[in-house]
Amino acid sequence: MNGNIMLIIQVLVPIVLGILVLMNRQLRENRKLLSLTVTGALAVSLILAVAALAGGGSLTLWQLTDTVSLALHVDGITALFAGLTAVVWFLVGIYALVYMTHEEHETSFFGWYLIVLGVLMGLDAAANLITFYVFYELMTLTSLPLVLHERTKGAVQAGVKYLFYSVAGAFLALFGIFFLTTVTDDLTFVAGGILTADRLAGKEGLFLTAMVCMLIGFGTKAGMFPLHGWLPTAHPVAPAPASAVLSGVITKAGVLALIRVVFYIVGPDMIRGTWVQTVWMLLSLMTVFMGSMLAYKEPVLKKRLAYSTVSQVSYILFGLSVLEPTAFVGALSHVVFHSLIKNALFMTAGAVIFRTGWTRVEQMGGLGKVMPKTMLCYTAVSLGLIGIPPFSGFISKWYLAQGALSSGTGAWGYIGPVVLLVSALLTAGYLLPLTIQGFFPGAEFDWSEIETRKLAGKEPAWQMVLPIALMALATLILGCFPVPFMSALEQIAASVL
Amino acid sequence: MNRMLLCVPALLPLIGGMVLLLAHQAGRNKVKSGRNEVRSGRNEVKPEWNGGQTGGGQGDVAGKLHFGRLEWYILGLTVVNSLVLAALIWGQSTDSLVLFRLYGDMTVMFRLDGMGRIFAGLIAFLWPLAVLYSFEYMRHEERKVDFFAFYLMTYGVTAGIALSGNLITLYLFYEMLTLVTFPLVLHPMTREARRASRKYLYYSIGGAAFAFLGLVFVLKFSAAGNTNFLPGGVLNLAAAGEKKNVLLAAYLLSFFGFGVKAALFPLHGWLPKATVAPTPVTALLHAVAVVKSGAFAILRLTYFGFGIEFLRGTWAHGFVMAAAMISIAFGSTMAAKEAHWKRRLAYSTVSNLSYILLAATMMSPLGLVAALSHMVFHAFMKICSFFCAGAVMHQTGKTHVYELDGLGRQMPVTFGCLTIASLSLIGIPLFAGFISKWNIARAAFDCGAMFAGEAGAAGGNVGGNALGGLTAAGGGWTTAGSWTGFLPYLAVGVLLYSAFMTAIYMLTVLVRAYAPVTGGAGSVAGAGVAGGAGSVTGAGVAGGVRSVAGAGTAGDAGSRMGKEWSDPNWLMLAPLVIFAVIIIIFGVHSQPLMEILYEIGGAVA
Repeated sequence: MNGNIMLIIQVLVPIVLGILVLMNRQLRENRKLLSLTVTGALAVSLILAVAALAGGGSLTLWQLTDTVSLALHVDGITALFAGLTAVVWFLVGIYALVYMTHEEHETSFFGWYLIVLGVLMGLDAAANLITFYVFYELMTLTSLPLVLHERTKGAVQAGVKYLFYSVAGAFLALFGIFFLTTVTDDLTFVAGGILTADRLAGKEGLFLTAMVCMLIGFGTKAGMFPLHGWLPTAHPVAPAPASAVLSGVITKAGVLALIRVVFYIVGPDMIRGTWVQTVWMLLSLMTVFMGSMLAYKEPVLKKRLAYSTVSQVSYILFGLSVLEPTAFVGALSHVVFHSLIKNALFMTAGAVIFRTGWTRVEQMGGLGKVMPKTMLCYTAVSLGLIGIPPFSGFISKWYLAQGALSSGTGAWGYIGPVVLLVSALLTAGYLLPLTIQGFFPGAEFDWSEIETRKLAGKEPAWQMVLPIALMALATLILGCFPVPFMSALEQIAASVL
Repeated sequence: MNRMLLCVPALLPLIGGMVLLLAHQAGRNKVKSGRNEVRSGRNEVKPEWNGGQTGGGQGDVAGKLHFGRLEWYILGLTVVNSLVLAALIWGQSTDSLVLFRLYGDMTVMFRLDGMGRIFAGLIAFLWPLAVLYSFEYMRHEERKVDFFAFYLMTYGVTAGIALSGNLITLYLFYEMLTLVTFPLVLHPMTREARRASRKYLYYSIGGAAFAFLGLVFVLKFSAAGNTNFLPGGVLNLAAAGEKKNVLLAAYLLSFFGFGVKAALFPLHGWLPKATVAPTPVTALLHAVAVVKSGAFAILRLTYFGFGIEFLRGTWAHGFVMAAAMISIAFGSTMAAKEAHWKRRLAYSTVSNLSYILLAATMMSPLGLVAALSHMVFHAFMKICSFFCAGAVMHQTGKTHVYELDGLGRQMPVTFGCLTIASLSLIGIPLFAGFISKWNIARAAFDCGAMFAGEAGAAGGNVGGNALGGLTAAGGGWTTAGSWTGFLPYLAVGVLLYSAFMTAIYMLTVLVRAYAPVTGGAGSVAGAGVAGGAGSVTGAGVAGGVRSVAGAGTAGDAGSRMGKEWSDPNWLMLAPLVIFAVIIIIFGVHSQPLMEILYEIGGAVA
């Protein structure tokens, strides 16, 4: 075990702290202590993550079998995903400390919440495909308790559905991994990929089949059609902070998987122009449209946001599928932007439930009176998701569309941007009604409920509003001054394409 | 001296078990003759062996250990036997011992080679732990002496299979295995048990008859005139080549014949039925000893009898591979459907044993390595799962998956071990199951590449290779190469499908146990119901557990809330924890074992 030891520490510390939270009986009775412990644990994890990422380097843990080792490293992609995860986890954690007061089994929630953080840090820092797969499976298993949390029949069924879809996806992907081990001994991630045409000689058909298996398998986590079904079931039943990170961060694990496989193992050139690329573009565009459409029709807010995730994550997948640097940058930036926005949206939905108990969009008239600051943030991030300048979503979509047009994929280069535009329209259609009804409910709106329950001006506690506001602010700032961030991403893109 | 040691592990428990049975019988006769004075119920008629522990078994309070003469005798013999086996394995001797000559070159011969060492090591390790577990499990059962006598004899017979040096000896012990395990399945003496044991008997004896056919052919076409195991097979290839199709048919017959014990579809029927036996039997015999003997026999037959060079690329090759795949898919699908916990695990065994067979049918050194690794790992995973199921049955009397709601928190150690076993069975990395699955997949891809290579060779140069010979022999099978070509890849797909099904049938149990539905409106039972359930539990612990199974279900509503069940005592927990730890150790550090296996695989190449 030589190398940057911090890499494993940042993985283990949250996991150990999480286990301690789960085991400790005192925390179950003493809420103040729990808040303190969780805040401290999250802060420590954040600091460790930053230290590990700043330190860089790599670390080999041990040999699993003769050809397979467990190893961690830091590269551009790691920094992007791990940094995002650590920051979002911290902010949502602060929010959750207040939100979870109205749920049961808080210690169980925070214990698993910390464990998942550790697993995700390991996932982001994995240096080869096997290590990645180990953490990928662990992520499924450890995030399951977050979905199951409420223990209602619906939650348990959703949890089981989540589990089975994820496992099925992981095993589909495993077929691809098995295949890859037969053509190369070393599955270490190298920018630009390590496969060459002569290694695949005589196995082209099998190779492409394996790639499709990996695409659909890893696509499961990213909510890509045809295995997207678990996402709109599982995300809404979890407590709001869990839905937020599930939608905002854990779906990105599927994206990360595809980035690692296509751009760091196989190499984009090996699938450029094959039917696999066509299937990829087709599936992601279908998912973009379908997700927006279903979100538009969905009356329950959290479920609507879940469908929105289905659609938005496939923006990222489409950006990857055209195998073009500009679109790649767009995809990476959308990972960050969508994560911040979707977390803020889910936290808003949670705040509404926390304060008023409303879950359906048509109940939420006059919400602007109830929690004006939260709704303002909601509106800001909504505009970001739709892609209206100066909010960040515009930047990523600009890159995506530009990349698609110059990608040389023929008709797909035009169909893609059109679908993205239609979907943006639908996004406006499903997000903005809340703002409009919230602030301008109309003259004949019945204010009686808000008045009788004395809801007006009942902004949630600052611990809940602040994370939402910070994310909204980040959406705005990254939209106004995108250059430093985008040029960092362009460097990553240049190394792989 | 060292040579004579070879027959000890097989004979010592056999003789020990027989002595026990005879002594017990003698004691019973004595009591019978004086029945009038003794005025005895059936349970007390064990003065010599059971009654010696004055109230042991029936009378003692839970938690207190009672090691009577029976327990010491059984444990002592088992441990001694395991030590002898360990010494043999450690010694690495290649001597062979001819115990006696049946006729001509047909000898009963013991020899311990690499593959036998693996199997012998496995049973030598598992048996003492299983015995420990069964002391606790069988505490309240009747006819303990008969049970343990046959349990001990089974050890000897299984060791005999591991040690056998030729097909004849293997066959001898294989038949004996049926006979000594038959009383164990019959043990509960219920109508269901009688049916199950009869089915077991017919299936096994019938299968052995088919296997015998293959044995005759191997003997007839053997180059040396005997069936002594040789890595790479014993056939005289020139003579065998002329009768290729007949020999392949014989191979198929004996493959399915031995496949009966390995629960190969469609000959698996006896295994789920046989779960009526007490859990130590189901766990050790029907997840390890008996079924693995079937798989072991097939490995011997394929790699050390017929030889992979003869079988590779033939129609029989594709046939057995397809059979194993169908069995895998069938077993895991049925397991997902099954609500009775032990039967579910039995179907899981059907599927997992065919993993071993599937690996074996890759007909390559890598395949043998993969088969042996799964043989070892599956033994630990499945015995651990069965012991967990047994612990739950023993403590709570619950037998069905839907009754397990909320037990995870009440029996944390048991379910902790079950979690590890489940994740391993599914094939999550860092657990042993992943390693063997990894090996099987690697062997499959390797085999696929080999098929592709051979098909090409056959097209260009119809010469001495297996496929070329086939073209000349049977016109109908010339296309074999093309349809078997994709089979290995399909095999990987089947493997992953089965892994998915495994996730379904193992994880539903865990989700139920750890996350019962409690948040639903009004489903949380009130205190009154919980109190009722408590009283049922009291009865459950005091009396025979099986009898309150019905009552346990009645109090189920209460069991969701209250903590009325607990982990069993250390006799049952210790084996569980040891198995779980081993699963993890193999999962993260399988290198030493794999090196041994590679050596064995290298020999047959």
